[in-house]
Amino acid sequence: MKVAEKGCAICQATWGDYWEEIQGQRMFFCCYICAIEFKNMINEVKKKTGWKKIDEIKMTGNHRGRECTALYDGKRYSFNIRFDSKGGIDAFSERV
Amino acid sequence: MWLNRNITKNKSDRKTLSKLLAGFFDLGDRGLESWVKRRFIEKFYGQSPHPFVVALQHPSRATLLGYVVEHQHFLRQWVRSCSFIMARTDEMEVVLYELDNINTEYGGVGTGQPSHYELLLRMGESLGLDRQKAFRMAPLEDTREAIRVWDMICQNDHWVEGLAAMHGLELIANRKLRSEGASIGYFDPMILKNEEISKEAKAFLREGYEADVGHSEQALGLVEKYSKVFGNVDDVQATFLRSIDYFDRYLMARLERSRQF
Repeated sequence: MKVAEKGCAICQATWGDYWEEIQGQRMFFCCYICAIEFKNMINEVKKKTGWKKIDEIKMTGNHRGRECTALYDGKRYSFNIRFDSKGGIDAFSERV
Repeated sequence: MWLNRNITKNKSDRKTLSKLLAGFFDLGDRGLESWVKRRFIEKFYGQSPHPFVVALQHPSRATLLGYVVEHQHFLRQWVRSCSFIMARTDEMEVVLYELDNINTEYGGVGTGQPSHYELLLRMGESLGLDRQKAFRMAPLEDTREAIRVWDMICQNDHWVEGLAAMHGLELIANRKLRSEGASIGYFDPMILKNEEISKEAKAFLREGYEADVGHSEQALGLVEKYSKVFGNVDDVQATFLRSIDYFDRYLMARLERSRQF
């Protein structure tokens, strides 16, 4: 899966040293909360789209809310997401 | 996470980080009160205002009920925190300030001036939430954690830190922050004039709107004065930052609760 070129896959911070394997890929996160957020986001997108995997997630925004676009096999799925303090999904809405 | 959100996302060497931290904590020419307000505005009223504040601009019934259920727990802790500050200071002006604050927030003055707590419960009742039912609803985890932190600060840390930790939070409804850089207010003042919300909700919001300018600014004046007397400005800054981090989560808990209505 293609994620941010630099830093944590959620917030792009280069602090920290937390790694998790997601979709068979070893990924860097600044902390375990960001890793939980990322896994919850991936699972939610798969649930909403029915996709088996995700090729790329583009993200802008910050912890108050992120605008994202997931890509898979030439298809796009755009959504807004916000997480709670434990990494759970606090708000999720599809963007047309 | 704190470094990412407050200082820099880029991993820095010790020297660079020291400079950045020194800059963040530097009071500048305008003192501690101004620094506290600046940090508060950045966190809750900056480019991305807190989601609860956004929801409160024109609040739904669910938003207000989420407010009622979690805030009852906050206010019950509030009076404990103020009491700890009072019990641990020898300064008469601080005791008098806390007595006045406790009366406004929790005790009320006779039948003519109900407390903020009573107005909160009345707001809930006007929206169909019986107060007995509200009392039976336990706080959400983020509210419970925040309350525990405030309780510990006021019991164990210096009372000036407690003063900053608690009354700095009253900046949330300080309408003067708009003129000091806040991107929005706590709510759109139009809702006090039109028919969007119940008269009980107006009474509750109006009380905070009118009281919290004085509450927060008077307390920050005391914090500025006594942190110099006791030489604990650094501790006060650190404790204030800790407090607003938990306040951020507590405000999210109000939104989380609102989804139950």
